[in-house]
Parts: sequence; C-alpha cells; structure tokens
Amino acid sequence: MIRNLREIYQYRALLFTMTARELKARYRASVLGFLWTFLNPTLNMLVFAVVGQLMGAWQPKYPFFLFVGQLPWIYFATSIIAGASAISDRRDLLTKVRFPAQVLPSVVVLTNLANYMLALPLLLALGLFFGDFPTWHVVYFLPVVLLQTVLTLAIVYAVSAFNVNFRDLQHIVANVITMMFFLTPIIWTVQGKPDWVQKWVPILNPMATFVIAYRDIFYDHRVPDLQAIAAWGGVSLLLLWVTSLIFESRREEFAELV
Amino acid sequence: MTAAIVLKGVTKSFKKSAARRAEYTTFKSELLRWVRGEKRGDLTPGRIEALKGVDLEVPQGKTVGIVGRNGSGKSTLLKLITGIYAPTSGTVQVNGRISALLDLGAGFHPDFTGRENILINGIILGMSRADVRQRMSQIIEFAELGDFIDEPVRTYSSGMFMRLAFAVATHVDPEILIIDEILAVGDDHFQRKSQAKMYEFKAQKKTIVLVTHDLGTIERWCDHAVWIDGGVTRQVGAPAAVVAAYREAVHVAEAQNARTGDSALLAPGLALPALPGETTVAQAEGKIEVVEAWQQGAVADSYRPGASLEVRVTTELKAAKAWVLELELCRPDGSAWFTARCPLPAERTGHVLATWSAKELPWLFDALKLKFKLLDGDAVVATASHTLPIVGGNSGVKEHVKQSWHVDGAGAVVRREAVA
Repeated sequence: MIRNLREIYQYRALLFTMTARELKARYRASVLGFLWTFLNPTLNMLVFAVVGQLMGAWQPKYPFFLFVGQLPWIYFATSIIAGASAISDRRDLLTKVRFPAQVLPSVVVLTNLANYMLALPLLLALGLFFGDFPTWHVVYFLPVVLLQTVLTLAIVYAVSAFNVNFRDLQHIVANVITMMFFLTPIIWTVQGKPDWVQKWVPILNPMATFVIAYRDIFYDHRVPDLQAIAAWGGVSLLLLWVTSLIFESRREEFAELV
Repeated sequence: MTAAIVLKGVTKSFKKSAARRAEYTTFKSELLRWVRGEKRGDLTPGRIEALKGVDLEVPQGKTVGIVGRNGSGKSTLLKLITGIYAPTSGTVQVNGRISALLDLGAGFHPDFTGRENILINGIILGMSRADVRQRMSQIIEFAELGDFIDEPVRTYSSGMFMRLAFAVATHVDPEILIIDEILAVGDDHFQRKSQAKMYEFKAQKKTIVLVTHDLGTIERWCDHAVWIDGGVTRQVGAPAAVVAAYREAVHVAEAQNARTGDSALLAPGLALPALPGETTVAQAEGKIEVVEAWQQGAVADSYRPGASLEVRVTTELKAAKAWVLELELCRPDGSAWFTARCPLPAERTGHVLATWSAKELPWLFDALKLKFKLLDGDAVVATASHTLPIVGGNSGVKEHVKQSWHVDGAGAVVRREAVA
C-alpha cells in the first residue's frame, strides 16, 4: 500500500491533470456546461423528494435531509460504477505508455470527490434556505470524507482489477450498488425503526455509517457516532491494504489483457 | 562506455486467447463451466511465445534499428524495454530516462484544444507540468497549426492531429528514445522537419531504438541494426549487412512460396528460411545454456595438458526430439580436427547436462578451442564455443583421444530473475 501511494505521489501531476481533464470533459460539450455539477444532484434530489413524499417517508426539511445523504452516496456510487471499467477501458494508455496503473482508478475517485466538494456550497445554500445554519459539528466532516474516500478507493481498486478478467463484473456491480442504495438510509432514516435495524444496518453497511455521520453533522447538528466511524474507518484502511496488494499483483498483466 | 539497454535471455509468452471460447472470461462463462462440470484444464489455452530468448545490448549514444517481418516480436521487444510488459523470463536493464513513442496522441481528448492536449499528452509521456509549460511555445511552433491550436482537436484533419502529437512526443527530453513506426507523419515538408529533429537527437548523443519497415531509414540513420526473426535475434551488426541479409531471407521465402506454395510467409511469426552460410541460427526449441571446463574437480579457465579434462555442457531442451550434442576440437583456423557426438535421451526435456570426459588430450596448439553444436537430425539448432588457453607445455600428438560422454538430468543452470 505504501508503494502504491508513493507511486501515486510521484505521478501526482498525471493524477491531477487527468482529473482536471475528466472534470472539464464531463460538461464541455453541453449547453449548461459546469452548471450540471449542481443540476444533476439537485434534479436527482427533487425526484426523490417527490417519491419520498408519496411513500410517506417525509422528514422535516425533507429536501435538505435528502441532499445530505445523497451527495456522499453519488460520490461513492459513481466512483465504483465508473471505476469498474477504469482499467479495462483504457487500452489506449495501458498498452502504449508506462505509468502506474493505479492512477486510473484513483482519477475516477478523485474526480467524483471533486464533484462532491463542488456541490457542497449548494448543500449549504439549501440548508440556509430552510433556515439551517452549519454548527461547529462540521469539524467532523473532513475525517468522515477521508475515511469514505479510503473505503471507495479500496473497493474501486479491487473491482477495476477484477473487471479486466471478468468483463461482466461492471454490470453486476452496478446492480449491487442500486440495491445498496435502498439499504442505506438516504431516503429514509434509521431513527424510529426497530432496534435491530438501528443496530445492524450501520454495522453491516459502511455507507450507512458514513451517511448517518453526515446527517448527524449537517442535519441533526450533533457529534456523530465516533466509535462506528472509527471501526469502519479501520476496516476501510485494512481493505485498502488488501486490495492494493491484489491490484499490484495483477497489474503487470493489465497491458496484456485489456 | 556503459550500455543503455541490456537484455539477457528475454522471453515473453502470451496466453493464446483464440483457444478460449469467448473473447473474455466472464463470471457467467465461469459459472456455466462450473455448472457443466468442466475442469478449468479443459479450456486452458496454449501460450504463444512472442520472444524466445533475446540477448541485446544497446550502447549509449547509438542509434539502433530493429528490422523483422510482421509478428516477429519487434513491438513486444519495445514494450518490454519500455516496461509496459514484464518479461516471462530473463532480465531487462535500462540505464537512463526512457521515453517511448509507441503511439502518437496517447490520451488526446477530442473536445479539448490543441493547447490543452499538449499539456495532458506531455504529462502522460512523462514530462512535468513546468517542462510542458516551458516547451509549450516550441511545441506549438513545431506543429505549425496556426490558430487551430486553440480549437478542439476533433476539428483537426488527421494530418494536423498527427503533427501535433508528433510535436509533443519529440519534445519530451529523454535519454533513451524508443520509436515504433511513427516517422512517416504529415506531408513532405513536415517529414523533412521530423527527420531534422531526429538528427538533432542523434547529434545530442541520445540513445535511440527504432523499429521501422523502411529499410532505407535503417541504413541511413542507424549505427547498428538488429534483425528479429521468429522471436529471436537472428543477426546483429552493421545496418547494411543486416538489412541485406534480411532482404535476402525475405526473397528466399518469397521464391519458396512461389515454388511450393508454402513458406514461412504464410503465417505470422514464423522464422524466415536460413541463408546459405548463416551460422548462428538460434532456435527456441533447444539451446546451449552453459559450457564449463573442469579440471581436477574445479572449474578451469585454462588447460594443463596431460591432465584429464571434463567439459560440462548444459542444454535447455523444450521439445522431446532426437537431440544430438556435437563437440569439435578445432585447429587455430577454426576447422574441426576431432568430433565427438552424443545423442541426448529423446524423452528428456528441460535442462540436460552432458559431460564429456577426456584423458590425455593430444594438443599442440596455443589454445584448446572447443565448438559445440546442438543438432536436431541434421539441422543445427544452437551453437556455442569455448576456448581454454594452454599452460605448461605441450604433450605431443597422440594417436587416439580417450574420451566418453555422460548425460545427466540436473544441469548447472544459471537462473536469471527479472529485475524491476
């Protein structure tokens, strides 16, 4: 993992340039351009706001409630779905240029992280619209984002490496992610649910732990469950260690198999 | 002077994907296979050996051209040198910052302007941001795109695209430059300009490895030429000689084709026919790995007449054939004076050690010159030679050589590990 990160640091110019390229390319050809960074999650949120209301999942300030959980979820889900083909779709680079292959999945994660960060002002604006001012609890935001990034990176490394051999993995992953969306308290909340739900959902689903933490920070204005975050953070680091080993062991074959 | 690139016994094999039923394995296919109860072994694909043991040394500051027919392993060789592939066995050593121009426009994005793509492409090719910024104006000037430099690349003509890509690629400032078939870019004027750029690289004493089918370029530019054929280095030497031999072999193959309708030309990767008088035809199926002379229980680097001598020859046999190892004692002019043949066990593959023991070798010359041939029937598959200077006087001519062969499975194998 150390070697993996050191190489990424050495090739940071490549990482940042490619990330900037992805961010620019995403909206370059469209009329509204950069505005899509904000429009996408907003429209997404409005859809769920309507659906949520129909389903009777209403919470106070529901659009804001939704948005707090949705933004990190979009970050996580898009990273993994796009990251699955990060290696297998880049034949053009892998067979022609020598560079550490982990840059490719890392670019995907970093791009989506940047999108998440760029959408934060919108989150704050929406909060202010509902008369919700951020409190000192936002100091917990940075560590939670970092640990979520570790988890995302760990999963993306494994998925992108295996997708080189098993090309249908990316479709399987997309479906698992959709299923996971409903198992994560984004359009709903664990509060008021049976005890076993409150206990087991955050234990079994790391994204549930992180989403609950974000909601504690921005929506409920309270100190998040540090124990749960630390536990999943530790597991995420361990997972990153394992998956970067897996990635590294397979990496020499990428140029031949893509 | 040190070598910029050293390749020792490099082999590279790929999985033969044609043997698989689908283009890629998928979870679905693996699951179906498991349900049907097929073993993985049923589908285990064969391997294609693209390189079968290449030894190559590129001296610093020289331009080396690589020739060979399609599928002979040239591009694989370049990818091994640049580190895109890892060798299956053998070592690849590169001394110096390497830049590979294997493909033009890697990472170009059609929606970005020429200027933006210069930055991205330059960084992908290994320049730092500062390097690219510094050379930006040179690159733009070289590409001769005028106002188009601020237009998206998708609006470029293919010639303009290639010119921009070539401009970036040649402004990466490497110590070792690897070029694969990309010199013929743009119109006449631009080609002359590209060639001037290449001469500039040469004048700056940069090491250049060049693969091209334009044999004239090889003859004009290169200090050395290497002919890769059927995954082995067939000939190394002066460009004119190597190119001539290559041309002749192609010619022979074509004549063969016209005559019999069958030749190496029909399938990619097959070795071209041997030329008359060509001595070193290294083949993959068998090779002579190590030759050692032993005297009085130790490896000897000289021969003391009168004492008995043991010569241990380690061969590597990849196919079970009627292998014969031949040893020649040579006169100073290289002609054979005495020949000893040893059939190797037909069922044996892998490393086979053959030991030749001789008592009272008759010798009058200054040095004991030994030549070895590995034969498959009458065809010479591999050769090696070994020379031992004579110390301590001559023993005089004897009528007979008392000698014997002994074949053993376990050879003195020097295993070479790949270095990163």
